[in-house]
Amino acid sequence: MSDTSIKISAKTPAPAGNGMRADLAIGIVFLVCAIAAPFVIDSKYLIGQLIVGLFWAAIAVQWNLLFGYAGVFSLAQMALFAVGGYGTAMTATYLGFNIWMAILSGAVAATIFSMLVGLACLRLQGVYVALLTFAISNVLYLLIVTDTACYEMIGTTCRQFTGGPSGFSRFGDFGMRPVLRGDWVKGNYAIVLAGFVLTLLSSWVIIRSPMGLAFKALRDNQGYAIARGINRFHTQLLVFGISAFFTGLTGGLYAAHFQAIGPSVFSMNTLLFIMAIAVVGGTGTFWGPVLGTIVLMVADEVMRDAGQFRTLGLGLLIAVFVVLLPRGIVGRIGDFLTSIRARQNAPRQGD
Amino acid sequence: MDIIIAILVTGLTNGALYALATLGLSLVWGSMGMLNMAHGSMLALGGYMVFTMAVGVGLPVWTGFVAAAAAGAIFGGLLYFGVVRPLLKSGGPGFETSVMIATVGISIALENALLLSFGGQPLSQPFAVAGSVNLGAGVMPWLNVTIVVVAVLVMGAMGFLISKTKMGRAIRATAQNRDAALLMGVPVEWTYLQVLGLAGALAGICGVLLSAVTQLSPTLGADPMLKAFIMCVVAGLGNLPGAVISAFGLALIEAAVQFGLGARWGFPVLLMLVIAILIWRPNGLFGRAQIRRM
Amino acid sequence: MAENNTPALSIEGLSAGYDGPDVLHGVTLAVPKGQIVTVVGPNGHGKSTLLRTISGLTRRREGRILAEGREIHKLKPYQVAAAGIAHVPQGDLLFPEMTVYENLLMGAYTTSDHDQIAERLAFVYRLLPRLEERHAQVTSSLSGGERRMVGIGRGLMAGGDVMLIDEPSLGLAPLVIEQIYEVIAALRAEGRTILLVEENPARVAHLSDVMHLLDDGRVVWSGAPEALLDRDELLSTYLGG
Repeated sequence: MSDTSIKISAKTPAPAGNGMRADLAIGIVFLVCAIAAPFVIDSKYLIGQLIVGLFWAAIAVQWNLLFGYAGVFSLAQMALFAVGGYGTAMTATYLGFNIWMAILSGAVAATIFSMLVGLACLRLQGVYVALLTFAISNVLYLLIVTDTACYEMIGTTCRQFTGGPSGFSRFGDFGMRPVLRGDWVKGNYAIVLAGFVLTLLSSWVIIRSPMGLAFKALRDNQGYAIARGINRFHTQLLVFGISAFFTGLTGGLYAAHFQAIGPSVFSMNTLLFIMAIAVVGGTGTFWGPVLGTIVLMVADEVMRDAGQFRTLGLGLLIAVFVVLLPRGIVGRIGDFLTSIRARQNAPRQGD
Repeated sequence: MDIIIAILVTGLTNGALYALATLGLSLVWGSMGMLNMAHGSMLALGGYMVFTMAVGVGLPVWTGFVAAAAAGAIFGGLLYFGVVRPLLKSGGPGFETSVMIATVGISIALENALLLSFGGQPLSQPFAVAGSVNLGAGVMPWLNVTIVVVAVLVMGAMGFLISKTKMGRAIRATAQNRDAALLMGVPVEWTYLQVLGLAGALAGICGVLLSAVTQLSPTLGADPMLKAFIMCVVAGLGNLPGAVISAFGLALIEAAVQFGLGARWGFPVLLMLVIAILIWRPNGLFGRAQIRRM
Repeated sequence: MAENNTPALSIEGLSAGYDGPDVLHGVTLAVPKGQIVTVVGPNGHGKSTLLRTISGLTRRREGRILAEGREIHKLKPYQVAAAGIAHVPQGDLLFPEMTVYENLLMGAYTTSDHDQIAERLAFVYRLLPRLEERHAQVTSSLSGGERRMVGIGRGLMAGGDVMLIDEPSLGLAPLVIEQIYEVIAALRAEGRTILLVEENPARVAHLSDVMHLLDDGRVVWSGAPEALLDRDELLSTYLGG
């Protein structure tokens, strides 16, 4: 329509300089709090929960990269997580890798797997991508869970090649016990935090790079982006690969921390929780997934006291959050700041 | 030969149930671009309504049926006012995801509400249709016949409503071109409400039928909802007849695979079939490529 | 009891826009009953926005819109349609999976009188016989010209007082454009009230009673069509000669 060509959005984002400073500030605050946590908190349970929170946040950040920034609605995130975790467990178990090599292998395996998925999805749009990724994820789950063929004997029990319904365990950990003894959990926490910071940092770099712009262009107006020379094929494969590497890495860290991995990681509920985290925090924003994790995990903890009403409460909370803040918390804050800036910059209107 | 009959019986019954579930989902999706994740729990709601009416209050079963449809319709209306309308108003491209997550939350809440009210153990519906029809090489239980007949009647009524009535035309028009529908004088917001109400009623009825064959539990609708999602997308978005055909087709294939290879191969084969279909036809079996306005 | 010279449609000081600044600035014009008023101007300068704002699809920021003296600028789109404003949009916006017949039926959505609907349908079929031939055909399979006819037919089915027609010649071959203009000429002969939007004034001069030139969302010239065609400087400045 000819008339829309004049549209100049009042929501033009602020110049990059401002954004970077804010991100740096928030990042430093976050890092300080995160590093201080194990010195302030002594409860093993809470540290454990923080670790789990870091896992969810990492996955949410990567899913947000795929969906929020690149517009790809993938339901395979937990499958990528699982490939990372299983890759770790299996290379450690069958090839005797030490835990660090194993985790790296898991991440690489997840990347390759994801790029194959990305290839399959190339001709698909929107919700069809969701269905295909969902189907692939489910097939992988079913292949593992229905695996009954005995691959090797562990003592008197049979273990399947893929670990079957019971999964893998005791294939190596971070080695914190001999060093920190009782406080080994804090050692794990440090490693997981380092992994998370790496994930977050790499996301930040990608989003700010020309690649990140290409993602956003494809999300916002695909036809136009392609007309301007953005190679959809390359870009989509790239975003599938990158988001998988760090998701797989997180899966490996998860496996090493819990010293176990099983088919339960494919759970649809976890995936929905991750998506809720991203949406509540604000998809397409950088800090959204982190904030979303904090909000929902705190809510979950608080609800623990509500006993049987806990799940009910959490469900309602998610719904209410989304309806009241459809662009997420960070999105809402962003809108608020933009409107203040617009009012400051608006020329005086004569009568 | 008796295997064939067994496959047909299972396939037809499941097909009818899946088709009913898929119809409601596809209707909402086609009209509003909204994936109602609470659809599955609305099935369970319908089942529990009948149970309450028949066992709790002691009224005849058919009142339960009406109650299930009504409860579904009302819940659909609540969804519209509480979730859909506010999200449509705030506008923006994130509507589809937001509404998906919001209905996920509602679904969790509803399932748990049912769990808290009725307990988690599976219940049996009080109505039963005993006996079966002799089909020569096999039998078809009367219950299954009833289910298929009722489902087909309901779908037929829906089909008539959608294709021959003014209300149905307005729903289709809104789905095909919202702006044009507005220009014709269609009160689009009311159309959305009608669609959600209809879909809710369909879900309620489907839940009743489903709980008659299996048992009633709060997570009754989870599996059908998943399959309905698959069938909707495979058929191509918003294609109602296509969704019904896919439902019967995939149900028959699933039954065949289950009888042939074993129960646990049903779903995986279905999924692999779906993967193959999507790679072959990126817009679904019957779907048409959406022309994107830049 | 309405005065005979109340315009069918009256627009006063209308300003409107999308997300950003105004696209229309203080537009004022009137469409007298039984006349064809044409708005011309370069693309992207507000012509479609004007029609969309009248129909309520685009939000008005300032000004008034009156249909036979009644204020309609606060109404929702479906209410504007019910008030007798039939809008034939740019690019047709047909219902692609409905037949020609169903599309026409949708045009009469605001009416419940079956006899009236039948009458109007008969009229549309007389005026546009091609539509009767193809009445059972799904509109996505029609040619550009046929689609345009369905759009106009839909507008006629509304039986309204005013028709808004947005660029009826858009994207059509010259021969087909001729046919479409013949239809509009026939409507003019009937005494219909039409607000027409077109990019090129030369084509529609013979059909119009009054012309307005819209540039950058403002009415910069109004008058008789022949007068505009005589003003070379206007034509070259705004419309590229």
